Amino acid sequence: MSSQRAWTLLVCTLLVLLPFGLSDFWIFIAIEVLAFALYALSFNLLLGFGGMLSFGHAAFFGVGAYSAAIFFKRSGLDVVWMFTLAPLVAMAVSATAAAVIGYFSVRRSGIYFSMLTFAFQMLLYTVALKASGLTGGDDGITGLKPPGVLGQPLGYYFYALCWCLPSVYLLRRLVLSPFGLTLRALKDDPLRVQYVGVHVRRHQWAAFVISAGFAGLGGALFAFSSGNVFPSWLNWTASATPVVMAVLGGVQSFYGAIVGAAVYVVLEVMISGKTEYWPLAMGIIIVLLVLLMPTGLVGRFKRAER
Amino acid sequence: MIDFFAQHFGWMLNPTVLARQTLAGISNGMLLFLIAAGLSLIFGVQRILNFAHGVLFMLGAFVAVSLSSVLGEGGWMFALILVAAMATLAVVGAGIEWGLLRRIYNAPHEFQLLMTFALVFIMGDLVKLIWGNEDRSMNAPQALTGAARALGVTFPNYRLFLIFMGVLVAVALWFLLHKTRWGIFIRAATNDRAMLGALGVNTRWLYTSVFALGAALSGLGGALAAPVVSVGPGLHVQVIIDAFVVVVIGGMGSVMGALVASLLVGVINAYGVLAFPGWSVVLTFVCMAVVLIVRPWGLFGSPE
Repeated sequence: MSSQRAWTLLVCTLLVLLPFGLSDFWIFIAIEVLAFALYALSFNLLLGFGGMLSFGHAAFFGVGAYSAAIFFKRSGLDVVWMFTLAPLVAMAVSATAAAVIGYFSVRRSGIYFSMLTFAFQMLLYTVALKASGLTGGDDGITGLKPPGVLGQPLGYYFYALCWCLPSVYLLRRLVLSPFGLTLRALKDDPLRVQYVGVHVRRHQWAAFVISAGFAGLGGALFAFSSGNVFPSWLNWTASATPVVMAVLGGVQSFYGAIVGAAVYVVLEVMISGKTEYWPLAMGIIIVLLVLLMPTGLVGRFKRAER
Repeated sequence: MIDFFAQHFGWMLNPTVLARQTLAGISNGMLLFLIAAGLSLIFGVQRILNFAHGVLFMLGAFVAVSLSSVLGEGGWMFALILVAAMATLAVVGAGIEWGLLRRIYNAPHEFQLLMTFALVFIMGDLVKLIWGNEDRSMNAPQALTGAARALGVTFPNYRLFLIFMGVLVAVALWFLLHKTRWGIFIRAATNDRAMLGALGVNTRWLYTSVFALGAALSGLGGALAAPVVSVGPGLHVQVIIDAFVVVVIGGMGSVMGALVASLLVGVINAYGVLAFPGWSVVLTFVCMAVVLIVRPWGLFGSPE
């Protein structure tokens, strides 16, 4: 246990020191990694631990981003209150949306669960596209850069870190709690867990709502960092992003999703800086990943260790 | 209440408009059927949701445009173009199945989904590399231009031709699935793949051929659509979503379901454009969500 504490302390120290060694551009990328790591982690709570392949998770990332953006534009609060409350609002709205969507989706399992979540994501995508009074339609919402010290890359990095570290801690605690263990048991054998007296659907529904809340937080953090929100964040091609991140890192490992998100974001920055054919490169990476490395980076590392 | 109906559905009282919208919806639905039929067959047999099916459609359209600039706009040349697009896509489909998909039939769902997504990204960019970013267009053959008039409604001949082709393909598929040995294997595989293999049927070849058939149908759809859409690198996006909705509503694995749901979605879209301008897309997603909640195996599918 103590070695785990030492690791945690080391990683936290590194995360605090990291931005001082980076240029503004790379701090910006590090912020993106933080937001997407949270997103991928929340997604993998469902896939890796609950065995639920949500194919509409981009919906909650997007809903979080949009609700934070709309809150920013409409609420008229001062900076301190704004940036204390906006991520919480994003989490609450995402979780509420997930409560409704999850209520219907968890009634089905396997591929039908994936398709239901996907259908709801497309529904929300069209709403983001068409309800232009609220969402800005095709143009999205722009001009979300925070004022003052939060507008600086360094300041915003620590702001995002203050949200991400406790979130990761909470998710980790959740996975190790009886709730998390039951979720894992549900993945392996839902029928047996039901015999023990667990309300299967309600349990999956709760996991779905919690996961969506953190995905929404990731969306909000990313929205203020990039300064805008676009409907394409909810489009169908976006549903693959968290899946790629989780699989890249390894779905069996809790921290795998974080590694996957970091590698994905950095690869995207490096490749799309060189060529406009980033999708082609990502497609090839996915093919290689699926065929050659099904346990992901962390799984690979662990096997080599043994 | 009456005001609401008058505002949104008043146009239905005009028989000319109603007939025009219905015919337009049916002809669009027939195009959709060509993609959805392949998507549905592939899901039925391989249990893979092929997101790359829209890209195959787009590829068919680009092949048709390129061929028509070489072969011209004669009627027989158009028939040749359709056959060539189908053949090209059958080869591409067989290659994809043989090279990639057959390796992941036993992998978890997320790997299968990722693989078809990877194909979307790869082929989408390859199309850009080969044909560039501009929208292209081609003309329908001269024999099919012009318009027919009946009961006071004017309707383009090419649209009637699309409806005819849809019916032709539906009949051919029915014949194939019910009257040939290959078709019986396909239907058997939809029911129970393991049993079919245990009975000594070469399922590897069957999988390759089904994927090739699905790809060829999609390619035919793309080639037929080429004269009525602008053929650009974004063509596949809306197409695959519509086909996905159709397959979910009709029932995964059911060609009959794909036909009925295609026509339904085509007509809903055509009506929705007038009834709720800008919001008609939402209508189809609502239909899809309702079907998934109430009857997730679709109108014509059967529960697992």
